[in-house]
Amino acid sequence: MDGKPSNSPNSFIDQMVVPGDVVLDLSSMANQTIKLGGGLRQESDAISVMKAGKLKFSRPNKYWVESSQKRYVPCVEDTVLGIVVDSKAENFLVDIKGPALAFLPVLAFEGGTRRNIPKFEVGSLLYVRVVKASAGMNPELSCTDASGKAAEFGLLKDGYMFETSTGLSRMLLSSPTCPVLEGLGKKLSFEIAVGLNGRVWVNAGSPSTVILVANAIMNSESLSNTKQKIMVEKLLQKFQ
Amino acid sequence: MEIDRPDGRTRNQLRPLACSRNILNRAHGSARWSQGDTIVLAAVYGPKTGTRKNENPEKASIEVIWKPRTGQVGKAEKEYEMILKRTLQSICVLTINQNTTTTVILQVVNDDGSLLPCAINAACAALVDAGIPVRHLAVAICCAMAGSGSVILDPTKLEEQQKMEAFSYLVFHNSVLSMLPEGSLHVDGEPMEHGIITSVTHGVISVDDYLYCLERGHAASAKISDFLRRSLQSHAPSDPSKAA
Repeated sequence: MDGKPSNSPNSFIDQMVVPGDVVLDLSSMANQTIKLGGGLRQESDAISVMKAGKLKFSRPNKYWVESSQKRYVPCVEDTVLGIVVDSKAENFLVDIKGPALAFLPVLAFEGGTRRNIPKFEVGSLLYVRVVKASAGMNPELSCTDASGKAAEFGLLKDGYMFETSTGLSRMLLSSPTCPVLEGLGKKLSFEIAVGLNGRVWVNAGSPSTVILVANAIMNSESLSNTKQKIMVEKLLQKFQ
Repeated sequence: MEIDRPDGRTRNQLRPLACSRNILNRAHGSARWSQGDTIVLAAVYGPKTGTRKNENPEKASIEVIWKPRTGQVGKAEKEYEMILKRTLQSICVLTINQNTTTTVILQVVNDDGSLLPCAINAACAALVDAGIPVRHLAVAICCAMAGSGSVILDPTKLEEQQKMEAFSYLVFHNSVLSMLPEGSLHVDGEPMEHGIITSVTHGVISVDDYLYCLERGHAASAKISDFLRRSLQSHAPSDPSKAA
């Protein structure tokens, strides 16, 4: 069995790949189960790339292509920010920047019964969790966590929402905390909700803080860690 | 028998290529591709829910809109749209994202010859920028037959009007890096990359000349493919990448 895939010659792990590249040859890896994530596709004995990005590998057997887009591909257990588009008898229709509208059942709230269905206006911003996401079907959402508690899900009031790419959202949610948020958090106090679908919501005491935080985040997309710290420091010096 | 091309290129030399991605704020994917002075801007929106009436809902559908630089949309534009739609449908994986529509809009910024291949290259780069799943990429090239029987690649508008008796637009697979041992991606004894996706010809060409065009075009497509790979791999997608 392959002990360290990154040592084998011609390995594409952590390299940028382009659609069409064949990254794995299954005929040389018999008797192994491999899990494919986004951006990869199986063509008989070869695994080929569908989206341009960096090929990643995680022990023991997971491969995926990491790329950053403006649209979102719904995955189960992702936390996203959705905008209510319509409400029906059984579900709210929520736009999560994916190929299809998502359904949020009216009872998917903590302590939700037929008597206390929340009333969301068209255009409200919700912080929700994706429960079901399969090809061909509309994704299903929920405002509770896996154990049924509310856990910060639900309507986001006031504040400001802006759109980013999915790559930037993943960077903001990475641990340890990304330098932008850390730098801003030391000097300013604000509330932030990051959706993996490329939407970020910020709320703070004064509009100038909200604008500062939003601009700092939008500018940090292509910067490395040290550059982010420098950018945040410069920004805070100017305005404080 | 050397042909003197007005801009000093040899017969098989391409014009400088440049590609920038992610240039439009609202489009989900965008790319601007230029070959010399021919520049085309492509924008991709989608996938969005729902398909048009005559489309198969079990597949994703692609809609192409061609916007000429000046003037109204006429038959030539409709023909370009149809060629592009068929080409893009063959490279996209249509079984993912069923019952959705992806719209590709092409805006001609400047036309200096070899317009349709430039547009196909731009559309391909924009699809990748938008993250639409594609099986492999397409690279397009224009081969023109000059009056004396020689083949020139990537003609400018002047060359198209003055010298050419016939020309063909050829779209090939891009060249792929593969972990597979040599020979396993071959179909009928030829590597997959020699396959043609689209071929559009105008004028009268003999069979031998056409096969020669294919060979020259395929060699040039390897260079365009390398350039496309380098430009897709640059980390900051909004930086323009150039090649001579």
